[in-house]
Amino acid sequence: MIEISDLIYTWQNHAHPTLQIKHLQVNDGEKVFLHGPSGSGKSTLLGLLTGTTPIQHGSVSVLGQSLAKLSGTKRDRFRADHIGTIFQNFNLLPYLSPLENVTLGCEFSPRRTKRACDERGQVVAQAHYLLNALGLDDNLLSRSVSELSIGQQQRVAAARAFIGQPEVIIADEPTSALDADTREAFIATLFGQAEKYQATVIFVSHDNSLSHLFDRKISLPSINEASQ
Amino acid sequence: MTLLKLALKSCWNRRASVLLTLFTIAISVMLLLSIERVRIDAKSSFSNTISGTDLIVGARTGDIQLLLSSVFRIGHSNNAVSWQSYQDIKKRRGVAWSIPISLGDSHKGYAVLGTDSSYFEYYRYAKKQALQFSSGRAFHNAKELVLGSEVAKKLGYHLGQNIVISHGMGNTSFHHHDDNPMTIVGILAPTGTPVDKTVHIPLIAIDAIHATNSKPRAITRNSNKQHEHGSHSGQDHEHGPHDLDNGSLNSEPSDLIGSPKQITAFLMGFDSPLYTLQVRRNINQYKAEPLLAIMPTVTLKELWDMLDIVEKILLLFSMVVVIISLLGMLTTLLATVSQRRRELAILRSVGARPWHIFSLLSFEAIIITLLGCVFGTLLFYAGLLTVTPMLQSQFGISLSLTPLSPYELTLLGVIMLSGTLMGLFPAARAYYYSLADGMSIKI
Repeated sequence: MIEISDLIYTWQNHAHPTLQIKHLQVNDGEKVFLHGPSGSGKSTLLGLLTGTTPIQHGSVSVLGQSLAKLSGTKRDRFRADHIGTIFQNFNLLPYLSPLENVTLGCEFSPRRTKRACDERGQVVAQAHYLLNALGLDDNLLSRSVSELSIGQQQRVAAARAFIGQPEVIIADEPTSALDADTREAFIATLFGQAEKYQATVIFVSHDNSLSHLFDRKISLPSINEASQ
Repeated sequence: MTLLKLALKSCWNRRASVLLTLFTIAISVMLLLSIERVRIDAKSSFSNTISGTDLIVGARTGDIQLLLSSVFRIGHSNNAVSWQSYQDIKKRRGVAWSIPISLGDSHKGYAVLGTDSSYFEYYRYAKKQALQFSSGRAFHNAKELVLGSEVAKKLGYHLGQNIVISHGMGNTSFHHHDDNPMTIVGILAPTGTPVDKTVHIPLIAIDAIHATNSKPRAITRNSNKQHEHGSHSGQDHEHGPHDLDNGSLNSEPSDLIGSPKQITAFLMGFDSPLYTLQVRRNINQYKAEPLLAIMPTVTLKELWDMLDIVEKILLLFSMVVVIISLLGMLTTLLATVSQRRRELAILRSVGARPWHIFSLLSFEAIIITLLGCVFGTLLFYAGLLTVTPMLQSQFGISLSLTPLSPYELTLLGVIMLSGTLMGLFPAARAYYYSLADGMSIKI
């Protein structure tokens, strides 16, 4: 469960807060579409949720853990253990193979490493399995990531987000670089995996056309009092 | 996959710029090491060359020129000291010993030095060490010669062998007179000085060599002597191998000097420094002919002081080159940091701490500097192997092919430290970005 209450965040050198949320709750296993045009405080909210940005005021709790009470290092460890992230595009490190990009998801988390091993014996085996499950052929796995299409790159990123079964998946406009057909197919695969691991999905996008696929749609401008 | 492995892979991904940077550092390291090695080895090989000699006397020329020609066999003086002047000066009060030397000929590229037995008795090098024979003994007559260790080794000569010394400088001798061979009776132990590269023959033999040569205006008076010596030494020649068998017992020392008209220079030792100064003054004002007396220690120091500036400038330049190469690395790394903000954000998203990001960037600087130092050292040794023979034959500087000295390791350590410190800048910038960017990917 993710719970936000009385959250106020003001960036340095800014006179007014960028984000001001009275209350937001996302239940376990829920797939939420968070609609936010650019400038609505989307990135700030994601930074606070994932613990890369320290909380100034109010509280954010993820899986019952109040992030405000954790130190920077502990927040980083918490993120490594419990949150998988998919970015808009260029999700992958160019100098690693697709397989290595996936196992990177376990690199900073013994917990996720253990879970991946519990499931498939080895982290690499689990990475391989996830890539296959997300529709990537074996012959693509040894290639350089720059040889993959954007759709394929996003699947690799999704596999990295899912490896080691983090409870929360945060996807920041992961489909914006994809065409309409691939978009829905990608979301379908994403949901397939999320349901398998009972992961909570927070999908951020400015594109409302996808919102009907989700359990719930939240409009960030409507809950962010700072932008009103 | 540790951070180090990530750093290596990331470097490999940008290998063109990384390798160029690495190569720049390697070259600067090689340059610095070479300059320092040459400087230190040159210094010790210069100052070890002669010791215990109070004065070197030659025809009037420059101090350093006289030192170089008489001791280092570099360059050659055209003028000479007349035998009469030598005889006159060596009788001065306080003169403990004197060694006449006559240079100007060479055997297969090695200097031929005519002298007498006092050379083996009084010549000192390094820390007042006397010349030792690794085998054989000093020459006792006009048909015998003594080799420096390197001459024997390089030319494959051995005791008892007969060789022909002919007139002229350089490898090609103008004349080969197989009828006038000399016997190797002694090989000196290595000294690490030009003595190793010298063929020592009796003064009298110098005359013999010159006498057989028709070309130079060689001393017609001595050609008459030739007959005398010819028969004399012919007899000795028969005895030559015999002498060796029986040691020096029945080898009656015969005339080693003959009647030379002139010699190149002579070395002198005195009973007291007081005499040294007095005789030096007398020689420099010598009426009969223009002579020059130098104190080798003083001239060595002068020579060294002269080279000191050059040496310091070289050191300065090589240090600047090292600094430039490290700054080059800094520039490259700093430029990549902003290009890599996305990469850093991805690493942050999977749980990398800002400290990890800092280490990753630091590792890259350390890896590049370390590999630069390693390749630089390899280049240095490769260069040493190539250049050593040339330096040895041209300048008489023997470089040692030894492992890195503590001083050289310190230099490398300083470069490593500087490289590491330089790496802190891009690392700090990446650290700052990773904190400021958070989850948002800029660019």
